[in-house]
Amino acid sequence: MWSFFIRRLLQMIPTLLGVILLVFFLFNWVGGDPAYILAGKLASAEDIANIRHQLGIDQPWYWQLWIFIQQIATGNFGDSWATHESVAHIFKTRLTPSLVLLIPMMIIETVTAVCLALLVAVFRRSMIDQSLMVVSTIMMSISLLVYIIVGQYLFASLLGWFPVKGWSDSLWRDLTYYAPLPIFLGLLVSIAPSLRLYRTFILDEINQDYVRTARAKGLSESRVLFKHVLKNAAIPILTNLLMGLPGLLTGAFLLERFFAIPGIGREIILAVERSDFPIIKAATVYVAIATMLANLLADLLYRYLDPRVNLK
Amino acid sequence: MTSQEESMISSFSPSLWALARKRLARDAIGLLSLLVVVFFILMSLGSYFGFLAKNWDQEVAINYAPPTWLATNQESVSALQAPIPPRSQIDLYGQTDPLAPLLDELEAHNPQDINSPPDQQKVNHLVFGADKWGRSVILKTIKGSETSILVGLVAALVATAIGTVLGALSGYFGGWVDDFLNWFYNVFTAIPYLLLIFAIAAVLNQKGVSTIILILGLTGWTGVYRLIRAEYLKHRHREYVLAAKAMGASHYRRMFIHILPNTLHVILVQLSINVVGFIKSEVILSFLGFGVPVEVVSWGSMLNEAQNELVLGIWWQLVAAGVAMALLVTAFSVLTDALRDALDPKVVA
Amino acid sequence: MINHLRQLVISSSVLFAVLVTVYPAHSAPLKVLHLSLSAAETGFDPVMTSDLNTAAIEEQLFEPLLTYDYLARPVKLIPRLAAQMPVISDQGKTWLFTLKKGVYFSPDPVFKGKLREVTAQDVVYTIMRFMDPKNRSPYKFLVDHKILGLNALADQARQTGHFNYNAKVEGLEVVGPYQLKIRLTGTDYNFGHAMAQPMFGIVAREVIEAYQGDTASHPVGTGPYMIGQWIRSASINLVKNPNYRDERWHFTSQDPQDQKIVQAMTGKRIPQIDQVDIQIVEEAQSAYLSFLKGELDVFGVPGQFAPNVLSGTELKPKLQQQGIQLQRLVDPAIAYYFINIEDPQLGGMALSRIALRRAILMSLNDEEMIRVIYKGQAFREAFPIPQGVEGHDANYQSLIHYNPQEANDLLDKMGYKKAKDGYRRQIDGGPLYVKYTTTLTSQDRDLEEIMKKSLDRIGIRFVSEKLKFPEIIRAERQCRVAMRLSAWIADYPDGDNFMQLWYGPHTHENNASCFQDAKWDKLYEKTLALPNSPERDQLYRQLARLLEINGVTKVSTSHIRNVLIQPWVVGYKAHPILPSTWAYIDLIPEGERH
Repeated sequence: MWSFFIRRLLQMIPTLLGVILLVFFLFNWVGGDPAYILAGKLASAEDIANIRHQLGIDQPWYWQLWIFIQQIATGNFGDSWATHESVAHIFKTRLTPSLVLLIPMMIIETVTAVCLALLVAVFRRSMIDQSLMVVSTIMMSISLLVYIIVGQYLFASLLGWFPVKGWSDSLWRDLTYYAPLPIFLGLLVSIAPSLRLYRTFILDEINQDYVRTARAKGLSESRVLFKHVLKNAAIPILTNLLMGLPGLLTGAFLLERFFAIPGIGREIILAVERSDFPIIKAATVYVAIATMLANLLADLLYRYLDPRVNLK
Repeated sequence: MTSQEESMISSFSPSLWALARKRLARDAIGLLSLLVVVFFILMSLGSYFGFLAKNWDQEVAINYAPPTWLATNQESVSALQAPIPPRSQIDLYGQTDPLAPLLDELEAHNPQDINSPPDQQKVNHLVFGADKWGRSVILKTIKGSETSILVGLVAALVATAIGTVLGALSGYFGGWVDDFLNWFYNVFTAIPYLLLIFAIAAVLNQKGVSTIILILGLTGWTGVYRLIRAEYLKHRHREYVLAAKAMGASHYRRMFIHILPNTLHVILVQLSINVVGFIKSEVILSFLGFGVPVEVVSWGSMLNEAQNELVLGIWWQLVAAGVAMALLVTAFSVLTDALRDALDPKVVA
Repeated sequence: MINHLRQLVISSSVLFAVLVTVYPAHSAPLKVLHLSLSAAETGFDPVMTSDLNTAAIEEQLFEPLLTYDYLARPVKLIPRLAAQMPVISDQGKTWLFTLKKGVYFSPDPVFKGKLREVTAQDVVYTIMRFMDPKNRSPYKFLVDHKILGLNALADQARQTGHFNYNAKVEGLEVVGPYQLKIRLTGTDYNFGHAMAQPMFGIVAREVIEAYQGDTASHPVGTGPYMIGQWIRSASINLVKNPNYRDERWHFTSQDPQDQKIVQAMTGKRIPQIDQVDIQIVEEAQSAYLSFLKGELDVFGVPGQFAPNVLSGTELKPKLQQQGIQLQRLVDPAIAYYFINIEDPQLGGMALSRIALRRAILMSLNDEEMIRVIYKGQAFREAFPIPQGVEGHDANYQSLIHYNPQEANDLLDKMGYKKAKDGYRRQIDGGPLYVKYTTTLTSQDRDLEEIMKKSLDRIGIRFVSEKLKFPEIIRAERQCRVAMRLSAWIADYPDGDNFMQLWYGPHTHENNASCFQDAKWDKLYEKTLALPNSPERDQLYRQLARLLEINGVTKVSTSHIRNVLIQPWVVGYKAHPILPSTWAYIDLIPEGERH
C-alpha cells in the first residue's frame, strides 16, 4: 500500500514538469506582452523597457523558466502584474466562492443523479426509464449559456424570485441568497450526464452474477439494490466524482461571470485577457497538482473499496 | 481504469455487427433519432453545396423584423441617408486637396455620385424574424447548421484519430512508448481545460473555422486515448494477434489491420460522444471570443449574438438556434446510446 | 462514526449561530448607495492607476489639489485640497499652490492613532512618486519632462535603482508648510488639469513606505470615503472617513434645471451617504436587470439596452411612472478610424494611395452603425476634438462622406481593377486587402461585420485580425496595425489631449496611424505654445482637415451616456470628466421610500 502510494507520488514529478514546460512555452511565446498595457496611454519606448525589466520578461527564457521552477518549489508566485495583489492571496480569496458554488452543486447533483439512476435501473426499459432518459438527454443538449441567459431573465428579473447577481462575504447569505439560482442553472446541465453515467454503472452491477445469486437466495429486491448493487456501484461513482472536481473549479466561469461571483474561473479569464502571467502560471500549477492528487485519491479509494484489485 | 472501460473489454466477434444492426433496427427511438440526424446532415450538405440558404447574408428585412405571425402594422423604418453636401461648400481652411481635380472630373461624368445612395426596399416582417442586420433567422440557422455540424464532425474525427493512433501505439508497444505517451496524456489532462483552450488558441492565432476544429480536436483526444489504449493492452496478447505475428505480419499490420477492426465499436461510440460535446463547446468558444470568423455563421455565434437580444424582447434568434441545436444534439445522443447498446457485446438480445 | 456525526452537527450549528450573530438587523437607517462597475478594479495606489473604474473609486478615497466644479458646464477647474486656485506667473511656467489647513488623512495603524495633517511636502512626495521607475505609473506623462529637475532625478534612479525622495527638486519648491511653488520646463496651460486627476490624490510618505510592495491594498487618503469591506474583483464597500473635514455643499449654477439640486443640497455636509456599495458586474445583461430590480441606484445604460429604456430621447413612460430619472450627456471621447501610413498595402503619400484610403473611408456608413449597433446612442462627430473639450468645433463639416458610388468610381479611375473573384487588386496587380484589427469581444464582432460590409461595397477584400487588447497596443506601437476603429477618451478636457494622437514624433507611442508629415507637425507645434484661444481653434481646424485630405483618419462618432437614476437618489448630475461624484449626492434611506 505505502510503496504504491509513494511510487504514485514520485510519478507525479515528471507530469508536473511536463505541465510546467508546456505552460511556460505556450504562454511565454504567444501569451502576449503585458508591458504595453501596463505602461499606460502615452508611454515611451524607455518606459516599456523599464516595465519589461521589472517584470523580468527581458531575461533569457531559461532564466525565466528557472524562476518559475523556484516559484513552484517555494509556492510563492509573486504578485499579479495587473493589480499587484499577491497571487497566493488571489487564490485564497477566490477559492471560497468557487467552492460555495460547487460543493452544494456537487452534493445535490450526486444525490439526485444516484436516486434517479436507481429508479430508472429498477424500472429499466419501462416508460419511466425511457422518458427520463429522453428528458435528461434533451436537458443536456441545451447550452449552459442559454440556460443562464433565459434563467437570469426569467427567474431573477421577470419573476423576481432570486437576486440578479451579487456576492457577499457572509457564507450564510451567499448560500441562501446569492448562490441558489446559479446552482440551480448549473444543475440543469450537470445532472443529466451524471444520471446517464450512473445508470450505466448501476446496470453494470445489476448484470453481475452476484446479484443473480443474491436474488436466487431470496433476498428482497430493495435489499439487493441498496445492499449489493449500490455498494458496488458506489466505487465508480465516487471515482468519477473525485476526478471531476478539479476540472469543475475552473469550469464554472460562465456562472461566475453572469452572476458576478468572484471565483477562480472568472479570475483566470481576466488574467488571460490582461496577460497576467503570474496568475496563469499559478492557476495551471495548482489545478494540475489538484488533478493529480484527485486521481491518486480516486485510485487509492478504488483499490481500498474493491478488494479484487491488488496493490502492486 | 474504471469499470466502464472494463465493460468494453470482452470478446468480440465480427458477427456482432450483424447483431447490432438487427438490434438497432428494433429500437424505435434510435431509428427516429437516426432520421433526425440524417435530416440535419442533409440540410448542412445542402447548405454547403449552395442548394439551401445561399443568400443568408442578404439584408432582406428591417433590423430585428419580428416573425410574421407577430406582425403588426409597423411603418417601415426608412434607412434614408443624410444628403451629401457639395464639396465646393466645404471650407478647406486654406489647405489644398490633391484629389479635388479628380473628384470634380468624376462628379462631372457621373452626376449621381453627388447624390446619397438610393434607399433599399425592405420588408417589415419575416417568417421567423430577422437579426439585427435584417437577415432571415431561418436561413441563418440553416447556414449555421453547416458550420456547427462541420465543426462537430471534423473536430471529433481529428480528436478520435489522434486518440486512436496514440492509444494504439501506447497499448500495443507498451514499454517506454507507453510510458512516454502516458506521461503526455497525464500532462494534457492535468492542465485546466479553460487554459488549454486559451493556450492552443493563442498558438494557432489564425482565426477561422479550422482553428476551432483544431482547438477542439487537440483538446478532446484524451478520452479516446484512454479507452483505445485499454483495448490494445487487452488484444495484443490475443491468439489471433500472435498468429498474425507468426505469419510474419508487421507491427503496422497487426496494429491497424488486425486489432483496429476489433476496437471499432469503441471508436464509433467515442466519435459520436465527441460530436455532441464539440457542437456544444463551439458555443463556449464563441463566448470566449474564439468563434467563427465574421463572414461565417454558426449556432454558437448566433447564441452569443442573441445574448443581449432576449432582454430587448427579441427572442427569435435565441429560440431558433437553441432549438435547432437541442434537437440535433438530443438526436445524436440518443443515437449514440442506441449504438452503444446495440454494440455492447455483453447485453444479450 | 456516530461520534463524528455528532461533532459535525454541533460544529455546524455553532457555525450557524456565529453567522447569525455577526449579522444583526440594522438599527439606524443607513444610507447606502448601490452601484456597479463593468470591470474589476486593479488596486488603489493612485500612482499605479490605469483604468477609469479604479479612478472612480480613487476619486472618493484621495484628493488632488484641484478638481472640477460639480455643476458648471463646460467643466471648470476649482480648488479641492488647494485653498484657492493657483497663482500662475511667468507665462504659465510657475504655479503657486496654497493648501487648505486642517486636512487630515483617514485613520490607519501607521499613524498610531494620531491625526496626520497634509502639508506641502506631501504634495512634493506625491508628484515625485510618478517619476519613480519602480512605480511604472501609466499616468507619468502628465508630469514627465514637465517639472524642472524632476527627470534628472528619475534618470539617477534608473542608474542607481533607488529613487532619492529626499533630494531637492528645483521645480518643486516648498515655500511654507502649506505653500508649494511648481516650476515647469516650458509654457503649459494644461498643468492645472493634471493636478485635478484622481491619480494625483495626495498620499503620505510614511504610509507608502510602511506598506512597500502592497500599497495597492492599503489606500490612505484624505477623501470623504475610505475602504470598508473589500472583496477583490467582486465588491468594494466605501465608508465615511471619520477624519474628513467639515466641507459643505456649495456649488452654484445658472442652469434652471440645476436649481432643484442646488436647493436640495446646499449647505449639507459632504458626504451625506454613509456607505457606497460597488459591485463588479462584467455581463451587461446582469447589470441591466439588476438596475431594473432596484438593486442599483445609479446606472449608465449600455447602448444595446437603450431601446428598452428610451423612446427617442425620452425615458419610456413605464420607467417614468416609477420615478426613474434619465440624464443624457455626451462622452468627452471620439471613436475614429485610422489607417496606418506605413502599411505596405494602404500606406504612403502617393496620390493613388491617398485615393485608396479616402475611398475606404468613404465606404463606411456611420449612420448605419449608429442606428444598428449603437441603437441611436451615438452621433456623427467629424472633428477630432469632441464636445465638452476645449478646442471643439461644432460647425466643422467633414470632407469624407458615406458615398460608396463615388468611392468605386474613384478606385476605377485610379486603376484598382477588379479581378475574377470580384475583388480589386493593387494598380500593379499585386494583392490588395484591408487587415482590420479588433479585440476578441462580441461587441467587436459587430465592428467586423460593419467593416466587411463596407469593404464589400467597394470591392476590397476584408481580412480580420483579432488580438487581445494589450497585443493591439503593442502592434500599434510597432506600426503593424493596418486599420482600426480606435477610441480616445479625454484625460483632461483640452484639445491637445486629442490632437497629439497624430503628431509625428508620437509614432511608436500613441500615434497609431504612424502619420509623420512635416507640415502637419509644424502646425501642431504652433498650437502647443498657445492657450485656449480662437487662434488655436483655427489651427486645430486646419489640422483636422489635413488628416481627412490625406486619408489618415475619419473621425466617426461620439457617444451619448444615458444615466438612469432611481427616484430615491437626490442631487445627482452626471459629470463628463469626474469619474465619480458620490460624495456630492444624497439619498432617501431604504425604510423611508414609498
